[in-house]
Amino acid sequence: MTTAVREKSFSLAKNRRVIQWLAVIGTFVLGLRHIMPGEASRGGSFDSFCAFGGIETLLPYFFTGHLLKSTNLLNFSVLIATLGVSLVAGRAFCGWLCGLGAIQDFVAEWARKLFGERRHFPGKQSKALLPLRLPAVVDRPLRYAKYLVLVIILIASLYAAFPPLREFCPVRAVFSLKMTSLLWLTLGIFLAGSILVERFWCKYLCPLGATLAIFNKISPVRLVTDTNHCNNCGRCDIECSMGIADVPINLDHPECVRCMECLNTCARDGSLTIQIRNKENVT
Amino acid sequence: MKINPRYYPAIIIAAYVLFLLLGILLGFGPERGSEGRGNSMLFQLAFTTLESLA
Repeated sequence: MTTAVREKSFSLAKNRRVIQWLAVIGTFVLGLRHIMPGEASRGGSFDSFCAFGGIETLLPYFFTGHLLKSTNLLNFSVLIATLGVSLVAGRAFCGWLCGLGAIQDFVAEWARKLFGERRHFPGKQSKALLPLRLPAVVDRPLRYAKYLVLVIILIASLYAAFPPLREFCPVRAVFSLKMTSLLWLTLGIFLAGSILVERFWCKYLCPLGATLAIFNKISPVRLVTDTNHCNNCGRCDIECSMGIADVPINLDHPECVRCMECLNTCARDGSLTIQIRNKENVT
Repeated sequence: MKINPRYYPAIIIAAYVLFLLLGILLGFGPERGSEGRGNSMLFQLAFTTLESLA
């Protein structure tokens, strides 16, 4: 039985990695497309494929009828798609489809190898020096920074010509291939942060993650703990890239990116299951 | 209702694609050179309705 569960879990983890690589390659292709000759004739700038661009340009469009420069109506479609996934499965976009989230997972994996972990055993505490887990007293207040970033950007968008995050956006810094000095600085901070703290951008600064956090509470597809099977071994806590404490009782936590690494690492059959929400299966 | 973990990736991708198509069908499609402007049919309809109500 346990072997069957591991086979299933392995398949899920492998699928996530494949999808993440596809998201990274796809976003790089978008960046590449916009440095090739004839960009102007193709329609849709690099920014117009950004879900958060839809949020940035929403208020100006609503109040003035004009989109911010470099954004496009396509931003709203990408935003609707991102909100749609979140409506169905919580912040699964962050854990599975976001190119930037994928880059952070890859960087953390490479950092662990570089700083002392030869082989990663799921559920076993890493001996690597980096990435760090910040103490709760520092980590918890910093998590609210992304909500502040979101509010500042929404207010700034009413007075801006271009999307306010544009010059500091790590997606553009990593993928757009059109660098400015500010974007180089952003890239440096993003990479250093991702080496120091796993999913640094998602935890502390991502305004899109802040927007999607609420969906973890309402999405019908979610993880459920069976308290009769779970023995609180803590394997899932160790594997959680978002650093959520007591994972089995915090499966609807706003910080959860639904990466399913907890399910992947769980050694007890039936402790964690993916379910469609109903009144009977409340954790 | 339990969901086989194997179907979870398909659910996410299907939801993303379906909602993206929905957005495009609502008129938020890629428009050549439309950066900084916008004339979604849905928004125009909403604005017209609001104007007529006002």
